[in-house]
Amino acid sequence: MIKEGLLYTEEHEWVSIDGETAVMGITDYAQEQLGEITFIELPTVGQKVKVHDEIGSIESSKAASDIYSPLVGEISDVNTELETQPELLNTDCYEAGWYCKLRVADENNTEDLMDASEYDEYLKGL
Amino acid sequence: MPKIKKSVLYEKHLELTDKSRLAAFAGYLMPLWYSSISDEHQAVRSAAGLFDCTHMGTWRVAGADAAEFIDLITTNRASQLAVGSAQYSYILNEAGEVLDDIIVYRRGDDDFMLVVNAANNDKIAAWLTEVPAILRQHNFTPAPDIRDLRDPKQTSDCRVDLAMQGPASEAILLSLADETVKQKIKQLEPFRFIETNVQGIDLIISRTGYTGAKVGYELFVHPDQTPRLWGLLLEKGGPLGLKPCGLGARDSLRIEAGLPLYGHELAGEYNISPFAAGYGWAVKLDKDFFIGRDRMRHESTTYKMAVQRLELPGERGVRPVRPGDAVLTNGGDCAGWVLSCAKAGKKQIALTWLARNKVKTNDSIGIYYTARNARHIQQGRKETVKKGEILDADIVGTIVERMEKF
Repeated sequence: MIKEGLLYTEEHEWVSIDGETAVMGITDYAQEQLGEITFIELPTVGQKVKVHDEIGSIESSKAASDIYSPLVGEISDVNTELETQPELLNTDCYEAGWYCKLRVADENNTEDLMDASEYDEYLKGL
Repeated sequence: MPKIKKSVLYEKHLELTDKSRLAAFAGYLMPLWYSSISDEHQAVRSAAGLFDCTHMGTWRVAGADAAEFIDLITTNRASQLAVGSAQYSYILNEAGEVLDDIIVYRRGDDDFMLVVNAANNDKIAAWLTEVPAILRQHNFTPAPDIRDLRDPKQTSDCRVDLAMQGPASEAILLSLADETVKQKIKQLEPFRFIETNVQGIDLIISRTGYTGAKVGYELFVHPDQTPRLWGLLLEKGGPLGLKPCGLGARDSLRIEAGLPLYGHELAGEYNISPFAAGYGWAVKLDKDFFIGRDRMRHESTTYKMAVQRLELPGERGVRPVRPGDAVLTNGGDCAGWVLSCAKAGKKQIALTWLARNKVKTNDSIGIYYTARNARHIQQGRKETVKKGEILDADIVGTIVERMEKF
C-alpha cells in the first residue's frame, strides 16, 4: 500500500513535510519485506543530519535494515512508543508507526524524492 | 548463474502468498512465510504445519551390495536397519569433513532411499559418482544401482518430500486414509515408515521431520501428485489448525529444537564435526571401514568446542541476537559465538559454538552484540570478538539442554 501525498526514498522511507517540520517512517513495502519487527534503534533528539545519513535501524527476527535521513536538518522528536511496541511499524507504518521528526533546513531539495506514483513505478521495477 | 528452479508447488504457493515472499534457496524459489514466521511456528507447536520440502534431494541406492555401499560411505550402520526403518547419518570425505547429513530409509533388503539437503544435492550427486574409485583404493568394489528419484528420466517411481509436523498431523493423515491404512499410521513409531496409498496417491509415510515435533511426518510422493496431496492436506487439515509454513518457520522450529543445519551447526566456518554437533551416536567408530573414519576416531576424543543451545530473552524491544555475536561466561570472557538464532514466543533460542571446558548446561551466560552497521563501529562496538576477550554482556541467558522435543 502506498499513501498519496507523501514523498518516498529508494530505501523505502516516507516523509511528510509541513512547514519546518518533516515526519518520516518506513513504507508498507519495507515492513512487509522485514516481517515481524522486534527491535528498533532511534536517533537522538538534537542530532544534526544530512541526506542519506544513517540515523537508526530496524530489525526483525530474520533481517536488519538501516534507516537513512531523507532530508537535511535536525532530529526534533522520536517515536519512543516504538521501543516497546515495534509492531506498530507492521500494523500502522504511515501513522502510529512514524519513526522520527526533523526540523528541516532551508537548503532542502526534495527533487530526489519520489511522489506516490513515482514510488509505485519504482516498486514495480524491483 | 544457473536458472532458478520452481518447486512443483510453485502455483500453489502463489495461491497462498504474494510473489515477493518467494526467495531463492538452494536454487529453488521457495516461500519465506505465508502468514508470519511466528504464526506458522506456533501452528506447528499447537496444531500442525505443512512444508514444501520438494527441493530436498532423494536418491535410490539398490542392488545386492546396496547396504554394503551405504555402510562404506556413511557413518551410521545402514546394514542393520530393518525394512521400513530410517536412520540419521553422515556422508564424509576422506579428510573426515562432513559433506552432508542425511536420512537413510530401507525400503527393501536391497533397496534404500537417501534424503539429502537441497543445498548439498549437486555435491552429493557428484560424490556418488566419484566414490566408487575411492572405495576401490581400499579394495571395496560394491556397484549398486544409483538413481535420482526426482528425475523422471531415471525412474518412473519419482519421489519428492512434503513434511507435515505437529500434534494434529496424525489426525489429519487419518482423515484421508482408509481403515487398514489408519491402523498402520496409528502404529507408526519414530523413524519408521510405511509404503501405502491414500486417496489414490502412492505415498511413503515416514515418522521423521526437522521441527522437533514429537508427532510429525514426511510424505514422499510422485511430483505429479504433489499439488493434489498438498491441496487435500490443507483442505482436511485447515479445520484442525494446519497451516502452510515457509522456510522462516522451518528454520526457527529446527533452531528451537536444537537441530543442526548444514553450514551452520555442521561443517561450515568452524568445520563442525558430528561429535561437536552432539551426534556422536550416529558415527559408528567400530565399523571396519567408512570414508573419514580415522579422522572421526581422533575427533571423538579430542574435540574442544561443541554446539550448545541457549535460551535468551526475546520480548519485543530486545535486539535480536545474530550469528557471530560473542557468548560470554559469567566472568565476561568470550567462550565462543552464536551460529543461529530464532525467536520462539517471548524467548530467543540460539545455537552456539562454545568451548567445552568453559561452560555447562544451566550456566548463566551473556551475549555481546557485535556491530550491526557503520554507526555501531563508530560508537566503539567490535565487529568480531576473539575467544578469551573480556567484554560486558548486552543480555543474559542460560545454557539449556542440547535438544528439546515438543
